Amino acid sequence: MRRLLILGLLLVGMQLLVPIGVERHGSVLLAFGFLVLAAYTSGEMFASMRMPKIVGYLVAGMLFGPSIMGVVDSSAVSRLEPVASLAIALIAFLAGAELRWSEVRERGRAIMMILGTELTMTFVLVAGAMIAASRYIPFFENESFKAVVGFSILFASIAVVHSPAVTMALLTETRARGPVARTTLGVVLVSDVVVIVLFSAALAVARVLAPPQEGVSTVGLSEIVWEIGGSVLVGAAIGLGVAALLLVMKRELGLFAIVMTFLAAELARLSHVDVLLALLVAGFVTENVSGGRGEKLRHAMERSAAPVLVVFFALAGAGLALRTLSGVWWLVIPVVLIRALGIWAGCRIGVRWAGIPPKAGDNIWMGLVAQAGVAIGLAAVVTEVYPERGAPLQALFLGVLAVNQLLGPILFRRALASSGEIPNGDGDIESEEAEDSIEEQPATATAG
Amino acid sequence: MSSGIFLVIVVAAAYFAAHVAFEWIGRRWLVVSGAEYLLLGILLGPQVSGVLSPDTVQDLAPISTLALGWMGTVVGARFYVPSLVRIPRGAFRVALAESCITFLVVTLLEVVAIMWLFDAPLVQALLPALALGGIATASSSAGVQLGTRGLDEQDAGVMYLSAAVLVNAVIAVVIFGLLASIWHPSVVVNGRPLTATEWMAITIGIGALGGILFQLFLGDESDPDRLFVALAGGIILVSGAASHVGVSPLLSTLVFGAMLVNISHVSDALVAALDRVQRPLYVVLLLFAGAAWQPSTSAWALPVALFLAARIGAKVGGARLAARMNGAMPILGRQWGWALVGQGGLALAIALNYVYQDGGTLPYFVFTAAITSVLVTDLLSARFVRGVLGAVLDQQVPGTTEPDVKVTEKLESVPSSPKLGW
Repeated sequence: MRRLLILGLLLVGMQLLVPIGVERHGSVLLAFGFLVLAAYTSGEMFASMRMPKIVGYLVAGMLFGPSIMGVVDSSAVSRLEPVASLAIALIAFLAGAELRWSEVRERGRAIMMILGTELTMTFVLVAGAMIAASRYIPFFENESFKAVVGFSILFASIAVVHSPAVTMALLTETRARGPVARTTLGVVLVSDVVVIVLFSAALAVARVLAPPQEGVSTVGLSEIVWEIGGSVLVGAAIGLGVAALLLVMKRELGLFAIVMTFLAAELARLSHVDVLLALLVAGFVTENVSGGRGEKLRHAMERSAAPVLVVFFALAGAGLALRTLSGVWWLVIPVVLIRALGIWAGCRIGVRWAGIPPKAGDNIWMGLVAQAGVAIGLAAVVTEVYPERGAPLQALFLGVLAVNQLLGPILFRRALASSGEIPNGDGDIESEEAEDSIEEQPATATAG
Repeated sequence: MSSGIFLVIVVAAAYFAAHVAFEWIGRRWLVVSGAEYLLLGILLGPQVSGVLSPDTVQDLAPISTLALGWMGTVVGARFYVPSLVRIPRGAFRVALAESCITFLVVTLLEVVAIMWLFDAPLVQALLPALALGGIATASSSAGVQLGTRGLDEQDAGVMYLSAAVLVNAVIAVVIFGLLASIWHPSVVVNGRPLTATEWMAITIGIGALGGILFQLFLGDESDPDRLFVALAGGIILVSGAASHVGVSPLLSTLVFGAMLVNISHVSDALVAALDRVQRPLYVVLLLFAGAAWQPSTSAWALPVALFLAARIGAKVGGARLAARMNGAMPILGRQWGWALVGQGGLALAIALNYVYQDGGTLPYFVFTAAITSVLVTDLLSARFVRGVLGAVLDQQVPGTTEPDVKVTEKLESVPSSPKLGW
């Protein structure tokens, strides 16, 4: 309460300074500072309610962002884009570094099975529901059936996207370690590659069923292949380079991580590959090639993760264009529910197929609900190809994403807590069933 | 391979080579590292590789302002009254006298030099000369900390040097704060433009009010991670507020830091949180300073060389005069001014702030002078300090005419890892 009061006073103080302002980048920093404090306060409030802090950061971002209160206006959000880009690059590298080769071998089969069934179910259910309900969806009114099918497929291919950033943030915040945490992370990371292929295929089908206007740029197969294959190649090269450099870099690893991430992201961008995927691969290669040195780098990065997460999620919340939802807001919740149903059903089938004990496996779906980053990028591609017809589709998607971004971390935390994988401050497990669950973990992992 | 990718690889290789080289040199010859980041910034910037375009450098200005704010807070946090009262008053008198002499000498010489070499009228020459005078006052605290590591903190020489570095920093920041208030672009409120005094009051008010509100905001929070995030938010807010109204973020955050450290219940934890990213932000400052650098359009080589010479002369001569005036010669020795010759991040911060400030004349000349001074003197600052302290401590050992081997050994055995500071 005290902090909310002081935030209110700071807000009043900021309003007093606005009329005598002379410098543009100062106002960006002023708004950004307020956003960080607001996100911090909101994160602590959510934590006291046993909810993930990142939800608090997102809520603060949404509340003070351009869509609601406008303390941080859209120009400030776009000027802070480099900060958010660096933060997501760091998170991606860290996420990749979390995955070990031994773990991939151990859980790889289970991860692929869960991913396969979960993606298929979600895709089919979301696309099917959109086609079935097309007559009630305003922006499908003037479209032919073929076009409806094309757009529904395209929408579903974005709806299946998960969020490595949210997964990584929750794992960093809760320090959870266990089969649910590790399997979810594995599924989310691998899905990042698969969804790009799926989206590209869906876009190709959509172009046939609902041809875009003439003069719109097209995305060729070779570009898609390069985006994925190139990301892996560039990421692996960066990872090998970082591993080699760790032989001589003995100190200031946190600084090294920031400089390295910045340069790596720049390299990926210039190579026209997916920055997130390239950094994920780079993190994975570094961790698995450099032995203990990679672990030191990861620990150095983890130590600076808290402020990076505040900044990234507060800006992500501020960046959500909630105003565009005005015409399609009533569709958002049904789509969120259908998507969640698809993930739940797909995971149940996948878990049983992979032979994972249901007690641990049935919680995995909750870690797959969150959405962020890549999905926004893919939605933007849709509006590039279909500038007018794609706009309401993008708006609907951003609404779904906003809900999933808030709901996903809450569900994932719940999954980790009910699986007994969240240690408390003393290093013990938060859940009462902790010990039983921990004892079951090796069996689960082996089964996977 | 595209030229962009090639450039990034070249820049990355140059940075890592420079890092390894500086680390080796640092271990071998006791130098303060950091210049490799300045070099990296110049390499990345629009003047060399162009990996960072002028627009990108402009977009990243908020981050450099944050680094300025962090540095101001770090300087302010050294104003912890309970520890300051343990330092003899004479140390502050000597430091104040030395700072004033350096400021006056450098300002006067630079006014003459700028008027003569750039054919500028007095009014135009005064602002850059005063800015350079302020920059000249600042000394490298990292050099002094590294040079005095392993020595007794209660030793008179060490205390005098620490006080001198702190007073130098405060004088430099206050001078720049005054300049930013006096040369502030006109802003009309209630039908009249705000005066310089009002701008100065706003500068200090932002810091003081920010400090009080932030202390109330924090309460008894002592968790390092939470404290760090909140502190970062507070510093961003205060430096953003100062920058938004066009006054000096360095001075506002200096007041903010001093308020925080003196009224907070968790001042130790706050200082630890500040220390945690001081080095990364110092590096950020070096990087952006390098990237923002542009060769001055005027003939700058001679006045920059003059600045270096005037500053070293003023520091060494002014320090000797100040020590003589205050009867501190036996404690400090005749050459103690050499210990203050090193310049580090604070000088760069002020110069960068000058570039960002509206209405500053010859901004890139001032900036080039500061960068050159840092590159030339920062590397050797710790060695200067050791030279001075070694001589003084050897003289102080009673009953010996030869240098005391133990003192020399003590100084030589000090580890040479990089130090936090400004």
